[in-house]
Amino acid sequence: MKGSQRLGAIFLLPSFLFVAIFSIFPIIESFRLSFHRLILTLPWLGQKMVGWENYSDLASDPVALAATMTTVIFIGVTVSLELLFGLAIALILNEAFHGRSLLRAVVLIPWAIPTVVSSQMWRFIFNDRYGLANLLLFGADTSRYLAPLADSYFALIAIMIAEVWKTTPFAALIILAGLQTIADELYEAASIDGATWWQKFRLITLPLLKPALLLALLFRTIDALRVFDLVFVMTQGGPADATNVLQFYGYKKTFAEGMIGYGSAIAVAVFSMSLVLSLAYLRAFRTSRLDGTRP
Amino acid sequence: MADYTVQCFILFAMKTLLICIGFALGVEGAAAQAQTNELRFVTWRAEAPQVWDQGIADFERQNPGVKVIREIGPQSSTQLHDLLAQKLKNRDTRLDVFVMDVIWPAEFASAGWALPLDRYFTADEQKKFLSAPLAANQYGGQIFGVPLFIDAGLLYYRKDLLAKHQLAPPRTWIDLVESAKIILARERDPQLVGFSAQFKQYEGLVCNMMEFILGNGGALWDPVRMVSTLDQPAALTAMGFVRDRIVGEISHRGVLAYEEPESLALFTQGLAIFHRNWPYAWAIANDPGKSQIAGKVEMSPLPGFSPGKGVAALGGWQFGISRFSTKPDLAWRFAAHMTGTAMQKRIALATGRAPTRMALYDDPEIKRQIQQLPALLDTFKQAVPRPATPVYAPLSNIMQRYFSSVLALPNTDINKRAGLAARDMNRALDLLRDRRSP
Repeated sequence: MKGSQRLGAIFLLPSFLFVAIFSIFPIIESFRLSFHRLILTLPWLGQKMVGWENYSDLASDPVALAATMTTVIFIGVTVSLELLFGLAIALILNEAFHGRSLLRAVVLIPWAIPTVVSSQMWRFIFNDRYGLANLLLFGADTSRYLAPLADSYFALIAIMIAEVWKTTPFAALIILAGLQTIADELYEAASIDGATWWQKFRLITLPLLKPALLLALLFRTIDALRVFDLVFVMTQGGPADATNVLQFYGYKKTFAEGMIGYGSAIAVAVFSMSLVLSLAYLRAFRTSRLDGTRP
Repeated sequence: MADYTVQCFILFAMKTLLICIGFALGVEGAAAQAQTNELRFVTWRAEAPQVWDQGIADFERQNPGVKVIREIGPQSSTQLHDLLAQKLKNRDTRLDVFVMDVIWPAEFASAGWALPLDRYFTADEQKKFLSAPLAANQYGGQIFGVPLFIDAGLLYYRKDLLAKHQLAPPRTWIDLVESAKIILARERDPQLVGFSAQFKQYEGLVCNMMEFILGNGGALWDPVRMVSTLDQPAALTAMGFVRDRIVGEISHRGVLAYEEPESLALFTQGLAIFHRNWPYAWAIANDPGKSQIAGKVEMSPLPGFSPGKGVAALGGWQFGISRFSTKPDLAWRFAAHMTGTAMQKRIALATGRAPTRMALYDDPEIKRQIQQLPALLDTFKQAVPRPATPVYAPLSNIMQRYFSSVLALPNTDINKRAGLAARDMNRALDLLRDRRSP
């Protein structure tokens, strides 16, 4: 017994070391740095312990507040659309029809393309002169062509469209997996009882799908909170800071401006937000699992 | 049984560990051995790669046994900056020489990343260079880079359209707007725009806007009092002019998402009357393979708000040497070779990039091949650098945010925004006040 426990510990060691080196250590280091003033380009200032100063600066930094708002809007809109479209796609792919496995593979393509590549593609699609979006909307009437990435409202919408396109397949995949765990007998029994499609969906599919939906919600929210590459490639945060999301702001502070302390404070803020969200969702997830298995 | 498994596993783990360590040591050893004759050079993808290849090959031939390892970084100045900052921050000894944008020397010098070159780059040698790019490489009384080529903002325009409508080249920004409006009204081409420039929220926006602000007698900052001057009247009127008249009347919204390539593409497609860009645009605009307006283009200094008061932003690239380089002498020889007369001439002839060595402006071959270059010498001499300070990056981000907000939000209160931007800039500049003697 003792031996097998030791064996277990040894087997765990590599992955523990991996997590410690690549996850825990950087997180602790970020926490530590966030309480210091450290500016790379001004080395004579040294690394001074400043307590909560970076955090109080962050709380009163209008750019950071605006970036938080932008990020929250981005998460709210993209995650709800991804779940909605993901559910629709999953329901379709769950039906038996000719070429289903091919379609299941095809649907995943947007998710499989590296984000930097698809961001570049969307940047071209939204181009004000030769963009596909303009061609589809206005045809050859070039005088009406819009410049979404140059507009302080449409730029964020453009980025949200790219995000929804890119990650809906992921949501669909998780939801599809959830759908396949629902036993066919339940639907057969409901059919015998004369239930309509809507009744079956509302009373069987949705409740039993709740764990999968929550899981998709959790993954997508945390991932959307960390949105960076789309902004980096498509707009660089502009115009007028309209697409300046938190992670991009933190990146600029840390790597372009060399404000290591302040940048770390932003990183810790993002980390805390995703931690709180994860815990809240996991709680909901646990209770719903019990619901799901109740006879 | 269990114990036997454990032993097996431990043996296996130790073996793996040993292999890993051995491998790491082996790689380190090999690297250390190869390093003695290797010079690591970080740069962007050059416009005329064959010229650079040849220049490096020449250097390797002149220095037998030396191998220059080129690492091609991102094309964007901002992204290359971040890559270099990463390496330098980590005191990476596998970086010897790098190209530097004109706005970096102060920062790299202050951070202790760039090697002071005074003992190599003598005063006599410095005299052979244009003074504006040289000044941009100085910080705290020392010199940190060797200028390779110089950039300055220029006005490009369609001489055929101006001639067709009997208009003279504009001498002021007001002239430019009026001329553009006349041509737009008469041409009735829904695709044609009056002015294309770089108004996206990025570094280029600072160059473009400073040309308007300084051309109106304003300034970005006061380097003596170390305060922002964006909230001063001359700067405010210039901002209002660009928003209401340039973007509002003769340009289109799309320009707010343009960097150099997009704005130049619009011009070379014949869809813009006036265009602001760097000297490199000349060769492209006149290349029939890339441009629909080859031969119909003219170039001039930028207008001001009164005749002859135009201001060009200084740009350009330099060679710098890492302070953590283990072979600074060799690195210097390479930097000197790449910025020497022969290389600058070859680069100029191949790309039209303007040299930083003054003698080349009298070179017969350059004069014959790049006829417009000597005429630009005055513009290059008078080009104004962006603030040379170690806090330039935060200042630039604050200015980009402010400029983009004014241009992209037509109803924004310029005075209020300028006040906020000036306050933020002053906070960044205040960091320098804490400086005790280093």
